Amino acid sequence: MTGQEPPPDKRGDDGSPPPDTGAGMTAVTYLIAGMLVWGGIGWLIDRYVGTQGIFAGIGAVLGIGLGVYLIVRRLGA
Amino acid sequence: MIVQSTVLAAEFPPSVEDFYLPSILPWGAENNYWFTKITVLAWVAVALIIVFFLVTYRKPQLVPSKKQWFAESVYGFVRNNIAVEMIGPRGVNFAPYLTTLFCFVIFMNFFGIVPLIQISPNSHIAFPAILAVISYVMFIYVGIRQHGFVKYVKNSLIPPAPWFILPLLIPIEFFSNFLVRPFSLAVRLFANMFAGHMLLLVFTLGGFAMINANALLAPVSILSWILTIALTFLEFLVICLQAYVFTVLTASYVQGALADEH
Repeated sequence: MTGQEPPPDKRGDDGSPPPDTGAGMTAVTYLIAGMLVWGGIGWLIDRYVGTQGIFAGIGAVLGIGLGVYLIVRRLGA
Repeated sequence: MIVQSTVLAAEFPPSVEDFYLPSILPWGAENNYWFTKITVLAWVAVALIIVFFLVTYRKPQLVPSKKQWFAESVYGFVRNNIAVEMIGPRGVNFAPYLTTLFCFVIFMNFFGIVPLIQISPNSHIAFPAILAVISYVMFIYVGIRQHGFVKYVKNSLIPPAPWFILPLLIPIEFFSNFLVRPFSLAVRLFANMFAGHMLLLVFTLGGFAMINANALLAPVSILSWILTIALTFLEFLVICLQAYVFTVLTASYVQGALADEH
């Protein structure tokens, strides 16, 4: 921190991406986003059809499943 | 004590009203928030940062003076530990912006615990919101410049998955990449500073409220004020942490925009 050597190989475009760039935050966001998006769409369907909340429930479960799937595809090995 | 309590000009259960400070220009105008202490503090933060870096870098020497060493440490910290660490070698290009952002946020936050100032402009959602919008526009712009519009949108919206599941996934991707990011960036900083100020108000004003209600409660009041001081140190931690988190997340979003497909 105090030694002000510039980092080696600066401005080079190659090199592997850094190991952990906010992957945890991304994962949490996917989980919550999945639930909110499909839960929200389910809720809209509920309002449209006039049901008590069955579609919101299905949507939230589906959404969290999709969130997990997205995490596996995007962040998994 | 009673006099002091009226000087603070606040009722005991502190409310959102306590964040709307009296107007300075025009002096004492009702319901006029164009120029208040908050405005002054924002400009003071800007001026302090400009003056600080101008003065410390005016005559840079090979063997740095103390001031120059400090300024270089701040810049070096953001460049090496945030920009390059998160973005990779190209992070050096973003180090100036990230350093400015980091300094601005930490200065603004720091007003929250400076005695006699004790309110941070960041406890109003407007300031974090604008900062988040700047970061948001920047990482999208950087992504589009790097990949071109179509490829960038494709990269950020279409996950590697079979085609029949994509319609289900794309709304989630859009929501989490383009809606949640700026929102959470702004709200995280705002809520921390808001809650911090509120906490200090509760403990300070609570002390006054108790001692006014019954003189026998004086020891509890004093305990409450001691806790205020302790909480101020806790607040210092939050201040540094939130400035760091804001900068790191901005860097992380830029990295995501620059990265090729995972």
